[in-house]
Amino acid sequence: MSKEALVEVKNLKTYFYTEEGVVKAVDGVDYEIYPGETLGIVGESGCGKSVTSLSIMRLVESPPGRIEAGEINFKGTDLTKLSEKEMRKIRGNDISMIFQEPMTSLNPVYTVGDQIIEAITLHKGVKRKEARRQAIEMLQKVGIPLPEQRVDEYPHQLSGGMRQRVMIAMALSCDPQLLIADEPTTALDVTIQAQILELMNSLKESYGMAIMMITHDLGVIAEVSDRVAVMYAGKVVEYTDVDTLFDDPKHPYTWGLMNSIPKLDKDVDRLEAIPGSVPSPLNFPEGCKFNTRCPLAKGKCYDVEPPLEDTDGGHMVRCWRYEHLEEIKKRGERIYEDRGVQK
Amino acid sequence: MINYIIRRFLILPFILFGVTILVFSMIMMLGPYQRLSTYINDPAQLKGQDMDKLISKYGLDDPWYEQYSRWIGGVVHGDFGWSESAGQPVTEAIFSRFPATLELALFAVIPVVMGGIWLGVLSAVHHNQKFDHIIRIISTIGWSFPTFVFGLLVLMIFYGVLGWFPPGRLSADAAAIIRSAEFVRYTGLNVLDGILNLEINVVFDAFRHLIGPIVTLAIVWWSYILRITRSSMLETLRKDYIRTARAKGVAEKFVINKHARRNALIPVVTVAGPMVLGLLGGVVIVESVFGYRGIGQYAAQAAQQLDYSGILGVAMYFSFLLILINLIVDVSYAVIDPRIRLE
Repeated sequence: MSKEALVEVKNLKTYFYTEEGVVKAVDGVDYEIYPGETLGIVGESGCGKSVTSLSIMRLVESPPGRIEAGEINFKGTDLTKLSEKEMRKIRGNDISMIFQEPMTSLNPVYTVGDQIIEAITLHKGVKRKEARRQAIEMLQKVGIPLPEQRVDEYPHQLSGGMRQRVMIAMALSCDPQLLIADEPTTALDVTIQAQILELMNSLKESYGMAIMMITHDLGVIAEVSDRVAVMYAGKVVEYTDVDTLFDDPKHPYTWGLMNSIPKLDKDVDRLEAIPGSVPSPLNFPEGCKFNTRCPLAKGKCYDVEPPLEDTDGGHMVRCWRYEHLEEIKKRGERIYEDRGVQK
Repeated sequence: MINYIIRRFLILPFILFGVTILVFSMIMMLGPYQRLSTYINDPAQLKGQDMDKLISKYGLDDPWYEQYSRWIGGVVHGDFGWSESAGQPVTEAIFSRFPATLELALFAVIPVVMGGIWLGVLSAVHHNQKFDHIIRIISTIGWSFPTFVFGLLVLMIFYGVLGWFPPGRLSADAAAIIRSAEFVRYTGLNVLDGILNLEINVVFDAFRHLIGPIVTLAIVWWSYILRITRSSMLETLRKDYIRTARAKGVAEKFVINKHARRNALIPVVTVAGPMVLGLLGGVVIVESVFGYRGIGQYAAQAAQQLDYSGILGVAMYFSFLLILINLIVDVSYAVIDPRIRLE
């Protein structure tokens, strides 16, 4: 990738200072998003994927949250150094965001038109009448039937899928270069999910923007992403392009995630699941943070945290023993059930 | 909406009818001798009179429904009976005192609602900061004081010790101006009439008399509104659509005053109905404490002297007022929240 990155996140650390202690929600994350591509960020709940995106928008509640270290370079400007006022010009204009819950993400007391018009007048400096025309046009583009009528309706009059379309229309109304989508399909029916993903893909092409797709659903990742960062406990554990990730996952965590998806072409009695749950961010283990659940963890894994290493041609993995996983894969064994977690 | 309002007015007579039955039956629990005794000032008046004869003359031992129908027959013709405690017909007593109470209510309710909402929002925005703590302490004290204790304290300090705010409605000098031939009573509200007649002394004097009752009424209900606004605002500020507004690049000032406040006001409007009920109770106490010649004082007087035409008249009047205020609350509910439809 020789192109200039649109967004470059370097060693980002976002901590929350709570009464119980410091929660290191994002603890040294690096990735890049290139113009026009979709970067997928995948991980379980609590792995820090949402906080990363809120950090880019500088919308982390403060207090208790704070961007502790690192840089977020957007077209050469470090967003962490901007004032609130400068940041407001970027939000909704250069970078916009859509959220998980379309049912609660729109303000119930204003019409959807009002809410889209607000974004347009705020950033484009056009008159209300023109903004309204553009809002109707946006509603049309995201596939809302009868946009002239829908523009004056309130969010409660629309279905969940329609509301997510409105959110997309609002996010794209100012022609952003980056759209951050934080689990945009999680709260929707499967058929609506597919429609929304398709819509996002086609809009990405016509607008030429980049998308940061945050999800816990590998199916969504496969559908839309160009490259993927797998996150675990506030860190990126595997980072590569989408085909490599699905063909040849190298981190035992990624491997576990893939095997916990049922597949139509394979007849298995039981799905393989990763045992246990994400450790509490107040109490991360020493060494590799995955060692409490990893069937391969041994010796060094319990003492020293592995670095994110380039294994071959840009496939980055944060694991001491990924080569070991290769051998097991070759033998066709199942790592989680055949081995269990050793301690 | 219009249909709804008309329907509410159509059921008004039925509710008032229910109120009269309720109050009347309570009065009927007193024996005829007790009720007779309310018509005399001195036991000597009864000397040489046959009490039973008087009772049957005035029909005090008739069955309750006959007595009730006599009373209600008068009411239908606008005659609420003679009020012994006021020394004038009930309708006259109410109408002559109405402007005084209206003046007090206007001056108390507007600062209560406006100030309570304003400070509640500020308190929520500065959540857990010094300002919030001070406001919370003051409002807890305000809410904990019973109206009659607080009223007596105000009277004691500001009249008894400092001599600033005397009880009553006007001093003798100002009352003389008002009674003079040149002074036109446009509204019956002393402050307003003073302004309209360009009599600065009347305005000043009327206002000086109002401050004690207003402060007493306001402090309790101000605390109430403030606390509800604060907690509702805190909850609203955590809503997803607030995050959406911030992600659009809306300035914090508008996030609070446009996106959050209107939503936070919905529960405040809900409690406004019961608040007005409490405020009416407060008016009875405050007017009695400050010797302010309004409807509240009349209600207390009538109840003390078992003046049952007076009690019934005031009960009807208060019920009518309450129904009207609740209707206003319901309508403004629908105005604020588009999800509410008045059917």
